[in-house]
Amino acid sequence: MEFDPAYLVRHLPALWRGLLVTIEVSLAGMLFSIVLGVLGAAARYLRIPGLWQFVAFYVEFIRNTPLLVQMFFIVFGLPAIGLTLSLFWCGVLSLALWAAAYHVESIRGGLETVNKGLREAGQALGLKPWQFLVKVSLPLALRVAIPSMLNTSVSLVKNSSMLQAIGLMELTFVAVDRMAIDFRMLEMFTVLVVVYLALVFVLSFVAGRVEHVLQRPFRA
Amino acid sequence: MNVILANWPLFLDGFWQTIKIGIVTLIASTVIGFVLGTLAMVRPWWVRALVKVYVEFLRGVPLIVNIFFVFFGAPLLGLPLSPYGAVVLGLSLWGGANGAEIVRGGLQAVPRHQSQSARALGLKEWEIFWFILLPQALRGILPAFAGLLTLLIQSTTLGALVGVSEMLAMGRLVVERTTVMEGSDPAFQVYTFVLVAYFLLCSALTWCTRRWERRLGAVGARRRLLGGGNAPAI
Repeated sequence: MEFDPAYLVRHLPALWRGLLVTIEVSLAGMLFSIVLGVLGAAARYLRIPGLWQFVAFYVEFIRNTPLLVQMFFIVFGLPAIGLTLSLFWCGVLSLALWAAAYHVESIRGGLETVNKGLREAGQALGLKPWQFLVKVSLPLALRVAIPSMLNTSVSLVKNSSMLQAIGLMELTFVAVDRMAIDFRMLEMFTVLVVVYLALVFVLSFVAGRVEHVLQRPFRA
Repeated sequence: MNVILANWPLFLDGFWQTIKIGIVTLIASTVIGFVLGTLAMVRPWWVRALVKVYVEFLRGVPLIVNIFFVFFGAPLLGLPLSPYGAVVLGLSLWGGANGAEIVRGGLQAVPRHQSQSARALGLKEWEIFWFILLPQALRGILPAFAGLLTLLIQSTTLGALVGVSEMLAMGRLVVERTTVMEGSDPAFQVYTFVLVAYFLLCSALTWCTRRWERRLGAVGARRRLLGGGNAPAI
């Protein structure tokens, strides 16, 4: 089997559309996961009765179940009891719910690094716990948590390839689908490997830069 | 619940398949991990570079792409692999990359003065590695490999996509069969059951690993060596 550039060029438009879906679903997933992660960490931090225990269990549950089964549950399980979402939003939801669990842990770790003295100072100034969280400790905690949240986001982009299994036409789906028809795997796998490695390296590079900037105040 | 009980033998089969793949790939990952992780510490720069390329490549490409590559690629190279073989090979290569990072991290965590003192005492290089570095590094490495087992068991679900009859594939089979034969869609019950089964299995493993970690006096080593508590790089 030889590498045929003409074959690749012929299928570039389809692959490009797949890549766009991958990027869209990943970006939406990242956005929602960060919102959910912050809310979850806040619920745990403020010890909102009922809710914080739920968040703690939720984090353990997501971390100890395979993402693919979570996806099957959302795509095939929920419609069976009458909850139907489009395939794209199923993908976004599953990725967001998965990454949110890791974000909660990252932010919680960040919140633990906030100095006790600050909290006492906040109490002395009459700040309510949620005011202190929003105004003081969350900004500080996010600075610590953002690098590992970005790492989670890199994993999220890679894991968006699992949506192939539920039939969302993202990059892996397009490439594997073509392969099953033409049996020309060399071209398609080259595309997959190059594109995913590029996505991962670009994101990791951005994450490294962000970490560098965030650490600036702590360097002499 | 009836649908689960009625198809109990199928689920049990899938469960054993999952465990079997998990353990076989863990053993292979341990071997690859120790070989590559040790090679990542040797003097010649090009050996370290090769290991780094292998590790970065396998961790950078989504695991599912990697498994598809083995599954579709092996027959073209004249290596007829069953779906089971393809998944075991794909997962082992990936687990080996993670194992190499674990071993390298564990070896690097041993303070430098240990090997320096050993060298000053006249020990040979292999003696330093075998008697000084490895025993100390193992304290962190062992729980981290137990953590890797949890990831591998979760990743066996990807086998369902190339035709291995593990738990998720069995669940899908049961859903399809019941839908066709009885006209009701049991997807919710079945996938809830599969989720709970994985949850029980993996949290039991996580719990054991945590206890083991505490006994070895290496709390946090697993998370540090497996990527700092980040989401797993599947």
